[in-house]
Amino acid sequence: MKTDKKENNKLGISMRARLMLVIVAAVTLEATFIIQYVYSQREIKKEASLRAESELKSAENKIMDIVNQTEAAVRNSIWVAEWCLEYPDSLERIPQRVVSENPVVVGSTMALVPNYSEKHPFYAPYAARDLETSKIRMLSLATEEYDYPSMEWFTKPLELNDSYWSEPYFDENGGDILMTTFSMPIKDKDGVVAAILTADISLDWLTNLIGGIKVYPNAFNLVVSRSGQILVCPVETLVMQTTLDKIAQESEDYETFDRVNRSILSGQSGELPVRYHGQTSHVYFSPVERTGWFLSIVLPEKELYSGVRRIGMIVILLQLLGLAMLIIILRVVAKNQNKYLRVNEQKERMENELHIAREIQMAMIPKSFPPFPERKDLDLSAAIIPAKEVGGDLYDFFIRDEKLFFCIGDVSGKGIPASLVMAVTRSLFRAMSAHEDSPAKIITSMNNSMAETNESTMFVTFFCGVLDLKAGQLRYCNAGHNPPMILTDAIRILPVEPNLSLGILKGMDFIEQETPFYYDDALFLYTDGLSEAENVAQEQFGEARIRAALHGRKPSENHLANIEQQVSRFVGEAPQSDDLTMLFIHYLGNADKKTFHLTLHNNVEQIALLPEYVETVAKAAQLDNETIFNLNLALEEAVSNVILYAYPEGTDNVVDIEAKADGNQVSFVITDSGKPFDPTAKEEVDIDAEITDRPIGGLGIHLVRTIMDKVSYERKEEKNILTLILTTKND
Amino acid sequence: MEVNITRENNTITVHFSGRMDTLGAQEITPQMNALADEAYGTIIMDCTNLTYICSTGLRIFLALRKSAADKGGKVIVRNICDDIRNVFMMTGFLNLFEIQSYN
Repeated sequence: MKTDKKENNKLGISMRARLMLVIVAAVTLEATFIIQYVYSQREIKKEASLRAESELKSAENKIMDIVNQTEAAVRNSIWVAEWCLEYPDSLERIPQRVVSENPVVVGSTMALVPNYSEKHPFYAPYAARDLETSKIRMLSLATEEYDYPSMEWFTKPLELNDSYWSEPYFDENGGDILMTTFSMPIKDKDGVVAAILTADISLDWLTNLIGGIKVYPNAFNLVVSRSGQILVCPVETLVMQTTLDKIAQESEDYETFDRVNRSILSGQSGELPVRYHGQTSHVYFSPVERTGWFLSIVLPEKELYSGVRRIGMIVILLQLLGLAMLIIILRVVAKNQNKYLRVNEQKERMENELHIAREIQMAMIPKSFPPFPERKDLDLSAAIIPAKEVGGDLYDFFIRDEKLFFCIGDVSGKGIPASLVMAVTRSLFRAMSAHEDSPAKIITSMNNSMAETNESTMFVTFFCGVLDLKAGQLRYCNAGHNPPMILTDAIRILPVEPNLSLGILKGMDFIEQETPFYYDDALFLYTDGLSEAENVAQEQFGEARIRAALHGRKPSENHLANIEQQVSRFVGEAPQSDDLTMLFIHYLGNADKKTFHLTLHNNVEQIALLPEYVETVAKAAQLDNETIFNLNLALEEAVSNVILYAYPEGTDNVVDIEAKADGNQVSFVITDSGKPFDPTAKEEVDIDAEITDRPIGGLGIHLVRTIMDKVSYERKEEKNILTLILTTKND
Repeated sequence: MEVNITRENNTITVHFSGRMDTLGAQEITPQMNALADEAYGTIIMDCTNLTYICSTGLRIFLALRKSAADKGGKVIVRNICDDIRNVFMMTGFLNLFEIQSYN
């Protein structure tokens, strides 16, 4: 349940991270895309506007070419026309000449102002080019139906007294051809306008010319007359049928449309966006001189941006594809990650289980210290500092029949197998030592049992000892373990036989060894986790450092803590690679057989060594603190006397102290070779005397006498021998 | 062994701390002998932090007590531990000194 929840959490976080990643990627892509899109639109618009401008200019140039030709056709005939005014009968030659000499012109008339000529009050001979045969026919416009003097082409130039381009119109006579007429007033010698000379041109070419301009496939062009009539337009039905104004009114964007119209009508060129029938178009427009026409290119925005839109669509598709791939990749990665997490979790669980297994094993090992608080003859402590990896160190001890059984061992290898072997070893030790007192026999049985079932060829270095607490005798057997150190007056390595390790060969004989054990002797057992503890520089802690750490030993529990501290200081940051196990056995039995020595020089500073010495002796005699204080005081008084007065000043001499503590008394024998001096011969001070009568000296020997039960002096072989005896309260 | 002497009005307080063994007592003897000249007032021997005393130390106490007796002063021993009280008893000092105890 717990792990499921944990897994969900892990997935959740990873999902959120993935989502965030995708969102960030999408936003970045889209932002870049939008910026790029907007800029390209702007560039495209600029480009389109340049193109439209140049197309308009070129179209206008072509139109002006025709316009100029037409105007030239008329103007070139002005002198003839003026001349002919005097010969009205020859007037019809003028239009005939204009048409025949100018292929652009399809029709021409020389229309007299009514009643200018008496002979011909209404006269307008008209030359028309037959568009199919190219022959020129002569007609007269002075008919009743036509009433030429009321026509625009006639009235406007008369009114303006200047040339004039008419509004385009459909020629009713010559078929449905869109025409326009250039009119020029002709003046007589008196400067009076006598006639109007015209040239008609067809606007078919205009449609072809303008319609042929294709800035973009769906762009279209318009030509609008000065009154707003549509002259050229892709929708032919609109030609001459509607005005810009009407279109504007249909538009949903009348205002902009109106602005276009007004700009056009006031003769400006420019560009404006217009909405018409639901789509926005860019309208470029430019006036054509003299004619009053307007050229316009209409570019639907859709068309304008169709390229960039298409690219945009492709980019968006690619982006979506990329995002989809990103999502898939993230998912795969997350899946792998989950797998990895699950593997890790498994590993963690295994490690956890291993840890628990190890804790169970550790629980087998005695771990409360002091383990035998009721025993005064034994001080024992042990420590296992497990490495991160599970190892197979062990120690064990117990007391049976006044004998201390103890062992230390190190299983080869690490991990679960080692820890399992360790558990087996410990159980075997307990089983074999339950009824057997000989360490060699215990080890032999253990070895046989282990070698028989040892299929994984693991072995155990093992040291087993049996300390007879009453007799002070240590029997031991070593099976390939590093030899322990024995601490007596000096620190030595306990001599061991080179036996094989446990579990290697069945039927092996193990040699047993023994050594007497005295009061205050100690045994220090350890595994190679201590001697081979490495620091960062890969130096090993080594035997020399162990010896140094053991030197000046104190009660054992502090001792191990001290060694641990030294090791951890030595190792520093380096990871611990192996279990570190230590077992320290401090024997305090057989005290009555022990003599405690202390030799002091005749220097008052040496007195500082007394308290520790007294403490050691007192511990052997199991004295209480008050007695220790008094014993210390008595000894100091006796010794300081010797140090201060026995030898001449400035000489280096010694005072020897020998102490014994059996169950009944503690005795100190203080020996010096100074001048003869018997403190017991001194007269007792009267401690009840009045202050004025109290002597300053004599207090020292008084204290010695008061504290000790027996004080005796003898002079023997040039030596002062002072014996102090304290009867202890024990039985 | 450390000794610290403070003076307030007519009272001299001597604070002892540590072990007054033979060496320690020898070290403070000159300082303590100097106090003999001022033994007309009250001298408080504060033994709150004194853990041990030997006969050489006792002799300092005794000498000061004698000076006080001569000069009409007073020596008060303050806060002695049980071990030292025992020593005082063994040497008859309990009768010679005014002993004060308080926490």
